[in-house]
Amino acid sequence: MNNNITDRQLLKELSARLKQKQETEKKYADLLTEYQAMGKRLKDSEALKSHFISNVTNEIVNPFTSILGLSKAILSVEKQDWKKIVSMVALIHNEAFNLDFQLKNIFTAAKIEAGEILPNVQKVHIRQLIQGVIDSFSIVTRKMDIDIQFDYQIQLGFGDKDYYFNTDAEKLKQIISNILNNAVKYSYKDSKIIVKCWMDDDLLFVSVQDFGTGISDKNQSVIFERFKRLDTGINSINQGHGLGLSIAKALLDVLEGDIDIKSTKGEGSTFTISIPRLKVVNTDPFGGDDGMFFDNAATDDDVDLF
Amino acid sequence: MEYSQHFLYPSSFFASREPYVVKTVLGSCVAVCLWDKKLHFGGINHYMLPTWMGTDLASPKYGNIAIEKLIEKMKFMGSRVEDLQAKIFGGGELLQGVDGGPSSTQIGERNIQIAKLLLEANKIPIVASCVGGQRGRKILFFTDTGEVRHKYLEKRQF
Repeated sequence: MNNNITDRQLLKELSARLKQKQETEKKYADLLTEYQAMGKRLKDSEALKSHFISNVTNEIVNPFTSILGLSKAILSVEKQDWKKIVSMVALIHNEAFNLDFQLKNIFTAAKIEAGEILPNVQKVHIRQLIQGVIDSFSIVTRKMDIDIQFDYQIQLGFGDKDYYFNTDAEKLKQIISNILNNAVKYSYKDSKIIVKCWMDDDLLFVSVQDFGTGISDKNQSVIFERFKRLDTGINSINQGHGLGLSIAKALLDVLEGDIDIKSTKGEGSTFTISIPRLKVVNTDPFGGDDGMFFDNAATDDDVDLF
Repeated sequence: MEYSQHFLYPSSFFASREPYVVKTVLGSCVAVCLWDKKLHFGGINHYMLPTWMGTDLASPKYGNIAIEKLIEKMKFMGSRVEDLQAKIFGGGELLQGVDGGPSSTQIGERNIQIAKLLLEANKIPIVASCVGGQRGRKILFFTDTGEVRHKYLEKRQF
């Protein structure tokens, strides 16, 4: 092979190398900007987190103070004043409801961040589950004259009237609760919320529509971020701390589902979730046909050892 | 050897001093197996996306968090980082791009890169790997020996 190269070839080679170097440099510059942007984002997130912790302390301590005070007051009420008792018990229920809701979210968020959230798939009676979530809000919504309508559109023909769907009941409940809680939070007094449920293409859809403040396009992209709160809430019944929707989204990951928002500022919002039917994992996920191939690894050519 | 079994779901991780066989199924996800050569036990994660950007919950769905958390857990269980060695699997490009070539998002490739980057930063050697390609994989990880049995999936699932 001839190692001599002409000047022209040399120039060509050098300019090619120069170009390559410039490209690498540009790549590094891009990476640097990316990391700087990320650093700033992480710093912001950390600030939100410490804000969250101080918030949460208040949100746990305040309801407890109310609950303790109200119970004490009830204990000293005369028997003939039972109406007073009813209204105080309603207040206790309201505080306890919020507390329960917030604590569940905080614990779920902690579990998700620790990687300890696993699907627990069972046959779920969808209608009962959604009705149960709606009922849990009844005292709160009655006080605000919000009417929650449940439009259950799964018809006979999908099996029988008691329609069962394979998913994780607790997680689905928490997802719908958080979306409904948001709808209530951003609804006006004396309005309605429509909860719809239907099947399409073997996917289960649940939508929650409110006629409240609505979310601007800009805010729609940030509402799933953790600790993010929009300051446009009308009702202070559930202060919240911006965990709800990020939890809903993370839980939907576990259920392999999706969430979609349609909203117009001033007209209200519709959140729609869709989830696929999950396989019921028997107690032994190794069992079944696809677990077998490793059993004869010694004879199976397809199995590589590392 | 009597093994207990564990099925590893995406966005979670697992480590044990007891002998376990851990099974997981990977598409563009990546699993990092860490094994302690002195104490003879191991742990494994399964993440879906490379980097947590500080927006949603900081879960082991993201490579940077999943890897840090697994190392932390191994340390908590008695390991010294210098005794750890790694094997990495997965990171296939299963989705096709518009031109029929590999997907432009390159999630698989980026998942592999973050593992290499973070393991190198922690000075944990990668002693074996089977990454990339266009097919899904099933792996079994034996926590006591650090051995991994690997098989490609027939169909392009996950």
